[in-house]
Amino acid sequence: MDEWKPNPTVKPHKKRSWYLAWKYKLMNQRALRKLCQTGAILFLLVTVIVNIKLILDTRRAAYEEEEESAQDYDDEMLNVEVPRHPVSNKKILDVEVYSSRSKVYVAVDGTTVLEDEAREQGRGIHVIVLNQATGHVMAKRVFDTYSPHEDEAMVLFLNMIARGRILIFTIKDEGSFHLKDTAKNVLKSLGSQVAPFLSWRDMWTFVGKKGGEVYGEKHAKSPALSTWGDAVLLKTEVHLTSVEDAECHWPDTELNRRRKRFCSKVEGYGSVCSCKDPTPIEFNPDPLKDNKVFDVPVAVIAGNRPNYLYRMLRSLLSAQGVNPQMITVFIDGYYEEPMDVVELFGLSGIQHTPISIKNARVSQHYKASLTATFSLFPDAKFAVVLEEDLDISVDFFSFLSQSIHLLEEDESLYCISAWNDQGYEHTAEDPSLLYRVETMPGLGWVLRKSLYKDELEPKWPTPEKLWDWDMWMRMPEQRKGRECIIPDISRSYHFGIVGLNMNGYFHEAYFKKHKFNTVPNVQLKNVESLRKDAYETEIHRLLGEAEVLDHSKNPCEDSFVPDTEGRVYVMFIRMEQEADFITWTQLAKCLHIWDLDVRGNHKGLWRLFRKKNHFLVVGVPASPYSSKKPSSVTPIFMEPPAKEEGAAVVPAVAAAEQT
Amino acid sequence: HVVRKFLGAISSHNIPVYLIDPFVLELIDKDIEQIRSSPDGPIPECKYFCAPRDFTTFALLDKMWKHEASLFRTAEKMGFQWLKIINKDPRLDGIDDLSGIEIPLHYIFKLASHAIHLVVFYERSGNYLWHGPLRLKQRLDRKFVPFRKLHFGRYPGAYEKPELLLVSIDDLKVQIPKNPSSFLEEMSQSRFLECRYREARAFFQLYPDDVSLDAVDFRKKAKSLLHLAASTLNSLGVKFWLSSGTCLGWYRQCNVIPYSKDVDLGIFIRDYKPDIIPAFQKAGLLLKHKFGKVEDSLELSFQGKDDVKLDIFFFYEEDDYIWNGGTQAKSGKKFKYIFPKFTLCWTEFVELKVHVPCETLQYVEANYGPDWKIPVKLWDWKSSPSNVQHNGVWPVDEWDNVIQIY
Repeated sequence: MDEWKPNPTVKPHKKRSWYLAWKYKLMNQRALRKLCQTGAILFLLVTVIVNIKLILDTRRAAYEEEEESAQDYDDEMLNVEVPRHPVSNKKILDVEVYSSRSKVYVAVDGTTVLEDEAREQGRGIHVIVLNQATGHVMAKRVFDTYSPHEDEAMVLFLNMIARGRILIFTIKDEGSFHLKDTAKNVLKSLGSQVAPFLSWRDMWTFVGKKGGEVYGEKHAKSPALSTWGDAVLLKTEVHLTSVEDAECHWPDTELNRRRKRFCSKVEGYGSVCSCKDPTPIEFNPDPLKDNKVFDVPVAVIAGNRPNYLYRMLRSLLSAQGVNPQMITVFIDGYYEEPMDVVELFGLSGIQHTPISIKNARVSQHYKASLTATFSLFPDAKFAVVLEEDLDISVDFFSFLSQSIHLLEEDESLYCISAWNDQGYEHTAEDPSLLYRVETMPGLGWVLRKSLYKDELEPKWPTPEKLWDWDMWMRMPEQRKGRECIIPDISRSYHFGIVGLNMNGYFHEAYFKKHKFNTVPNVQLKNVESLRKDAYETEIHRLLGEAEVLDHSKNPCEDSFVPDTEGRVYVMFIRMEQEADFITWTQLAKCLHIWDLDVRGNHKGLWRLFRKKNHFLVVGVPASPYSSKKPSSVTPIFMEPPAKEEGAAVVPAVAAAEQT
Repeated sequence: HVVRKFLGAISSHNIPVYLIDPFVLELIDKDIEQIRSSPDGPIPECKYFCAPRDFTTFALLDKMWKHEASLFRTAEKMGFQWLKIINKDPRLDGIDDLSGIEIPLHYIFKLASHAIHLVVFYERSGNYLWHGPLRLKQRLDRKFVPFRKLHFGRYPGAYEKPELLLVSIDDLKVQIPKNPSSFLEEMSQSRFLECRYREARAFFQLYPDDVSLDAVDFRKKAKSLLHLAASTLNSLGVKFWLSSGTCLGWYRQCNVIPYSKDVDLGIFIRDYKPDIIPAFQKAGLLLKHKFGKVEDSLELSFQGKDDVKLDIFFFYEEDDYIWNGGTQAKSGKKFKYIFPKFTLCWTEFVELKVHVPCETLQYVEANYGPDWKIPVKLWDWKSSPSNVQHNGVWPVDEWDNVIQIY
């Protein structure tokens, strides 16, 4: 029990003296009685003896208490240490592997380490990696090799496993349809005899050591296209090696101790655990001169995607001006492996008991993480918020250091974000250019403490609301007309393809071609012009200078923009009122930029690049910049496509939101 | 000498510590003028650190602290034995479902018969420093040092960020609080109470929190009013504590009660200063009413900028109880609210370091009765409190003085 108590410590000796005083008082009373009633002498004697005995007892008890003199400093919690993995001297592991249409399982020494009988998931080849000295599970993956490209991911994974590890394979449902020869050859090189001939709906189990012996393999052919092979159960024994043999012999340094702890626990991180030439885990990028964000805490929001987190933290710790002491990784759930990654890099991590489901869960995790960040760094005025599936640009902190004063001074700003929703390879050009936008892009951004503490935290959506936190933050009730500052070329790159709102198609279509700055030390241009009023002056200047494009041409065609470089062009589209994005959405679609909702606008104006020219789009008449439209120009109107055409996109989006 | 060795180890790791040992500081305080004026003055004999003691206590700011492992190694090489006391991080306790990570709270380095107690201070919301209690886990050696004799660790404590002074004493360069006597004074009243976050969560399970716009808005206003009141009273040096509904909100739900409509503070009448009213007026608050007089039942009420009321009750100490008074304006009736005696502790509330009665439960129970855990929205200050008593009527000729309404 470690409940709060108003006064948990009562001095035992005080209690004792009070007790004795009471005792003596009692004795005096009895002495008085003795004077009056001489007949009670015997009784008194007995009493005295009893009392003396009591006193002696009390004294002894008190002495014993003295022995435990630190008693009131005891932790009330009973803290019994139970070793997590009982150490056994056994040198042989019993391994059981089961493969069938609807269920797979793997048991090591009677402990189930994998069990999957869920319907409609877990299809493909399950792989488990065991430590050859301890038998601990170091990695667990499933590759849906029924679907394309998953075999490539499996090959990549298998290549990263250190020699000597024990590999266990089992197929659930179907694992051969998109298992190409390359992958089959890798399995063959591991010692599998069946892999090269694996075919449609075969069942298969295999246990072997990477670069060494084979412990067993079982296979059941599918008799016909419409049926599955019989379930197979492989029972085998694996001989453990000594811990010495299973470990690398790196020089004994603080860093290598961390590395050793990591590499003996988990697998699938490649060269970081290489014995010969391990990749560094400390980066020491150049410090930034006059770094304004050195003391700004960085919250990394993570789930259970440890490989992503590993990639993300590498890039973050390599960014110039990073201050590792300010980084906290918040892990949504009691997952061990992400924590192992955090510890590998010597950072601090905090786990969060998962509450609620799906989007609401992410949202609650965000809230807890932000609250914790400001609580752990009470002096901070800002926090940088990152997610585990982002690459961080080398000049990320330099970009923030040059712009953060705006967020402090300009109350019309909502955030600074490293991400430009419309910044694709073909639409972003200038690493020194910044914009003001009415939407909140997220994906690497800076939050002002006062905004969080005074406005967002008190009314953050409760778990039962099932809201996306970012959608909620974009709502007018929260944003209140404020804007975010973004770079033309993003300082973060969204690489995640497995996520709550992500799948391969979605990523390919909307994220892969995103431009990402790789130039260090970019000096941002004209930062002061991003302030509220200055920005209007800047826009008017730009529009004054811009050449009006030929509105008789099709804006989707490449020839709409002349083959020039470094010019400023403007086009006008129809936008009846503030929320009329019909033409814009069509234009975004044909330009292959973000079209799922409206992003990147500022008062009915969009800024991007086409063919290395600055390209401005003004919505007429809703935008205040409509006055810049020459009277001869008719704003372009683009109709949404007929329903059949639209149908091709809609399911993909729906799928993206469901997965 | 042990202290010298320890400071050597510390400085070789570039860890800035400062001296907070009350015995040594007391000795230093006697000579403070001399020490200040001659920072390098040669004082031959070992006057301060060599006085017989079991411990010397130093403070360490968490912010400056890393590479713990290498310090341990250095200390071990010098022959030190060390002990590290960790516990839950209270800064994360108030946050739903974060697994409380454990942080180091105390270190003890022992060499021969002397030990160095290193207390880790953490910065917390409300611009103050906090150190944790020292609780021994079961497997720790409880005879490592006589823990009871330690000066820090019986309770957690809260301190202002100290101004430090580098001095040279006993031929050692060491940082000390610039004003040792005020540090010692602060130390004697530093006991800190953590909010009961777990009970607060249980309360909200039973009675879900009001997150309507009105409630959010009121909480924001109440918070800013409390911040304003705290800075005003602190600048006057007047000690105050959270009272009535504000105290109940802290104790029961670690937050402002959204329907409470005002902010309530308590002040001992012995701490009353006539500048209180002008100071609040200067801070932009209007005096709404003043009931009673300094000798009897004084109560002030200010109107905050955005419609939230600030009530200040003055408390009178008797031999075995403490009371504050109330006055009904229309009838001149007097009321008396009786509390068991209490002392003051620090706590953190809406990002503010403030006092609350240490014996909070008794205080709250006196005021709200045994059912204080059940929210009551309809509250009559004349009849609802459990501890209200009729206390006669103000004589009519005094009304002009003791019932002032603006």
